[in-house]
Amino acid sequence: MLRKLLIVIFAALGTVLFDARPFYSQINKGTIEGPRRIIAIAISPLKNLGSGDDKRGLSESVADAIGNDMKMSGWFRVLDRSAYIERPQESGITLDSFDLKNWSTIGAESLVKGGYSVQGEDLTVELRLFDVYQAKQLVGKKYTGKARDFRRMAHKFADEIINQFTGTPGPFNTRIAYVSKSGGALKEVYISHLDGSEKSQITNNRSINLSPAWSPDGRMLLYTSYKDGQRSLYLYDLAAGRETRIAERSGSSIGGKWSPDGQTIAVAFERAGNTDLYLVDRSGKTLRRLTEDKGIDVSPTWSPDGNRLAFVSNRSGSPQIYIMDVAGANVRRLTYSGSYNTSPDWSPKGDKIAYTGRVAGRFQIFTIGVQGGDPQQLTSGSGDNEDPSWAPDGRFLAFASNRGGGRYRLYMMRDTGENQNTLTASGSDDTNPSWSPRLE
Amino acid sequence: MFDRVNTLLLGIVLCAFLFVVSGCPKPTPTPQGDAASQDTAGGKGQQQSKTGESTTRGGSLEDAGKGKLPVSDGPLKEVYFAYDSFDLRPDARATLKTNADWLKANSSARVEIEGHCDERGTNEYNLALGAKRAQAAKDYLISLGIPAARLSTISYGEELQVCKEQTEDCWQKNRRDRFVVTAGRPAS
Repeated sequence: MLRKLLIVIFAALGTVLFDARPFYSQINKGTIEGPRRIIAIAISPLKNLGSGDDKRGLSESVADAIGNDMKMSGWFRVLDRSAYIERPQESGITLDSFDLKNWSTIGAESLVKGGYSVQGEDLTVELRLFDVYQAKQLVGKKYTGKARDFRRMAHKFADEIINQFTGTPGPFNTRIAYVSKSGGALKEVYISHLDGSEKSQITNNRSINLSPAWSPDGRMLLYTSYKDGQRSLYLYDLAAGRETRIAERSGSSIGGKWSPDGQTIAVAFERAGNTDLYLVDRSGKTLRRLTEDKGIDVSPTWSPDGNRLAFVSNRSGSPQIYIMDVAGANVRRLTYSGSYNTSPDWSPKGDKIAYTGRVAGRFQIFTIGVQGGDPQQLTSGSGDNEDPSWAPDGRFLAFASNRGGGRYRLYMMRDTGENQNTLTASGSDDTNPSWSPRLE
Repeated sequence: MFDRVNTLLLGIVLCAFLFVVSGCPKPTPTPQGDAASQDTAGGKGQQQSKTGESTTRGGSLEDAGKGKLPVSDGPLKEVYFAYDSFDLRPDARATLKTNADWLKANSSARVEIEGHCDERGTNEYNLALGAKRAQAAKDYLISLGIPAARLSTISYGEELQVCKEQTEDCWQKNRRDRFVVTAGRPAS
């Protein structure tokens, strides 16, 4: 009797332990750092739930946008559409209305299906994520907006898919602001989706525009421009399409970064050859001078709690990363490896700072813990890699690289250095990325 | 018949008059190309910078706007710097002495000293380094007797390169101060 019981228990245990099917949302669900292994995902073109023709090609465009985000994350392998068995119009989008075998047969572990309907300019999109082996729906969402907003809806769902597998939403419902050469040496500020789509030109002054930086609410950009002769700081309201010059201090500005509460701007001002850090308000009025030494102090970045700033100073003889509190006190040097460390960006998680460091004559992206210690080198190779900018989820970085020779392009990678993928290929030098906060 | 001709002629004259009057050019040229933004009161810097100088100051940025390389073409010679440095080497000091002599001989000339860097490194730090280079030259010229009021500085960091090759030869050409004579314009 006992033996039979033991056999049954062992058999049950054996089934659980040795079952080869991936129990993805329970066992394979990974940590915030990512699922345990690459997940095969199929993304079906959407079913037209309305009455009109798919004049805009939304069925495939939405699926394409989600698929691209999945690929860029590095966590998913998107199955090729040519292998899909189902035709979207002939099959349902709810669990009971289609055959999961059509998807498990082609190797899909997870599946996105959905539908859309268009009325004039109004678009409704419904998207569902399924665990194919468990035969269950993991999440379903419905989005409404204008037809031109279809990519935003796709990015939101892509972030939700990532949330299902890692416990944290992905970084794709965001924008990237950056600088692009616009003819010779002139540079203008642009924004676009991460995949380079919906590129929008922000400045158009035929001058040199630099250092774009997002406000914490994603509604405004700061940038530095020579358009009025000497460098000044400008604020751009995206909804209003309006630019305002905000530097009132005499002397010319370099960069500018918003505090996490959106009330204060940390900025470097150069006067009589000396560059120091200041806090100003949105009208440019000086609130506090932060540094006062003869060296170069430049490139501030805020801690996510708004209590500290990391910055670059050459007060030791070479440019290094330092940390100080928001009153300008308690200055502590962070980087001790290498003789050129600049462009810091403080992770939204608060624990690490990404920066550019020179090693063997080339510029690479590093991270270092806020307490100090050994830096991690994330890029390598023969090009120059510069100006890291964290994604709002703290797991990805955008940066500029001229690897492969020729132009600078924007890239994205994990904060481990893995999954380095091109973001832009504009045909011109694209540099100085600034990753926006999460958008509505 | 005669009346009609007169009326027609009057009409033509009137039309021509209205055409001429309405077609007058606007007094202030609006800045070209700001399609993406409109300036509000805060953007009053459009027509003049804070220092009171006109925005067409000559020099490397203006060259860039015209699609020209920002090479020096004036009476004052450039000085060059070592990598990561803003120290004046002996060759730099010798050039500055020659530039000072010219400035003393042309006492109404004012100069904008542009500080530049090679393309290595990051933009913001290079803007600050270029400023150091410009100031170093300014301070030395002052020590040679040139009044500070005749000298202004601006840094362009790595933004305006005179050559693009990734060679030490080209990099050295870019690590420079350029001296742009802005004679007759009020300095700040």
